[in-house]
Amino acid sequence: MKKSMGTKKKASQIMLFAVLGIIAVYTVFPIYFLFVNSFKSQKEIVASPMAFPKSWNLTYLKSAAEQIDLGPSLFNTLVITVVAVTVIVLVSAVTAWLMVRNKTKASQALFLIFTAAMLIPFQSVMYPLVNLMEMLGLKNTGGLIVMYCGFGLSMTVFLYHGFMKSVPISLEEAALIDGANIFQVFFKVVFPLVKPITVTTIITNAMWIWNDYLLPFLIIGNNDKKTLTLSLYYAKSLSGQYGNPWELIFPAVLICAVPILVIFIFLQKNIIEGIAAGAVKG
Amino acid sequence: MENFYKRWFKILVIPAVILFFVVIIIPFIMGITYSFTAWRGSYFKGSENWWGALVGVTNYIKVFRSEKFLSALVFTVKFTVVAVIMKNIASLGMAMMVKKVSAGKGFFRTVFFFPNLLGGLAMGFVWSFIFQNIFSLVLFGGESAIKIPFLCDMLQDPNKAIFAMALMATWQSAGYMLLIYLNGLNNIPDDLYEAASIDGATPWQKFKNITLPMLMPAFTIVFFLTLSQSFKMLDENLALTSGNFGTRMLSLQILLSTRENIPANYGMAQAQAIIFFILIAVISVAQVTVTKRKEIEA
Repeated sequence: MKKSMGTKKKASQIMLFAVLGIIAVYTVFPIYFLFVNSFKSQKEIVASPMAFPKSWNLTYLKSAAEQIDLGPSLFNTLVITVVAVTVIVLVSAVTAWLMVRNKTKASQALFLIFTAAMLIPFQSVMYPLVNLMEMLGLKNTGGLIVMYCGFGLSMTVFLYHGFMKSVPISLEEAALIDGANIFQVFFKVVFPLVKPITVTTIITNAMWIWNDYLLPFLIIGNNDKKTLTLSLYYAKSLSGQYGNPWELIFPAVLICAVPILVIFIFLQKNIIEGIAAGAVKG
Repeated sequence: MENFYKRWFKILVIPAVILFFVVIIIPFIMGITYSFTAWRGSYFKGSENWWGALVGVTNYIKVFRSEKFLSALVFTVKFTVVAVIMKNIASLGMAMMVKKVSAGKGFFRTVFFFPNLLGGLAMGFVWSFIFQNIFSLVLFGGESAIKIPFLCDMLQDPNKAIFAMALMATWQSAGYMLLIYLNGLNNIPDDLYEAASIDGATPWQKFKNITLPMLMPAFTIVFFLTLSQSFKMLDENLALTSGNFGTRMLSLQILLSTRENIPANYGMAQAQAIIFFILIAVISVAQVTVTKRKEIEA
């Protein structure tokens, strides 16, 4: 009896493993595919799309890097993402912390407005926003950063707000009695305690800004301040009049994905745990 | 103590409030106002300022008579229904399997999550090749032994395109939703299942009477996220079909609307944007209210 239960359990585990394995293969298939086709000519891609390349030829990666202005595009995207994410995280954390510590009507009303604004889709403010930014002389990289900060706030404040409630106020009081000022209390006591949610907000905001297409498209357009995704879009649409230039698209997409791949490989554990933590609180 | 926080609150909350008003609240109010005017983007038709160009609800009437808008609305609704169902079934199924499997939990979670990090536009280009060349010519059509016409040329037919887009969207977001469901599953106490086993419950009864009700909080979040994600989708739509062959969704319609008329009618585009907001707000609030009520009952 006991033995048959054991084999039955084993069989079902093997089944589970097989099904999950198939789904895993399906999940990585497009990425495998992106990788092998980044080293092939247009002809080879169309003729044998699934196979390994005949030779690991770097010509296509090089020419794709040129066509998407890799250096400047990567630099622009990096600056925008790093500055915007830093501002979003610091401003949101401080705001959420003080909101939790102040149970006034004003603070509660503000939190309500911030939360309700999550329902406003980007599309319903984008045209007036572009208009306003033009009036303010901010239709440029700086303006793009300002806009990302504004859009990132709602969600990030909301996530921190949920987490800040679990920070014990007695620790802050002790630090204040020891003569710490507000910034020391925040950076030495509060901020380290909410680290899991900081990881979450950094990742979700960074991924969204890094991959965003629409906002740079509206604000920057086709000039030398393009972001990576925008360069990819223009490289494809400008050379695509005669069918799709796959020997350009695959290596270009690969180049855009590589920084994300590298970061993910190093931080995967933090990322998965951070996302799970944030998802539950949110 | 309270005074201390109060004093600093007034000062340190200023950056957030300014950013928030400049980027969201002011444009939002401008947007509502401008949707009732003859706005042309950089100027107002026949006037120096917006109050001189008021046209009442003309823009809204035009929108509801616009075939492009109505077809985008219908297509968006159809896509959202299919995508929400697919994403939820896939992520819940995967979460249940990951919970049960005895080895490699972390590995599977990581692999399934990965597509989430990649850009919708960039991976959309790759998927368009998969649908056009791999699905249509290598796997399910052309010289393949298995012929499944439904899976060939999916991007050139509005009904098939719904499934193609949902397939890609599920591939992207299932790993994220899985994490939320997995967390919900881990919060269900094991003794509930043990007690049910002693009473002789079948696996289906356990799923229906224990797992589903206990998962309602996770379901509320996943449903909310997948619903708004699918309804607002833009990048994948643009990369896969560019909205051709009757596959244009509302986000893309609002974007293209100013590029198709000369001179560009921004007032009318803005009216579509406001309708878009109302739809999303109503659907989201209704959904959260309904699923929250179920949570309490369970």
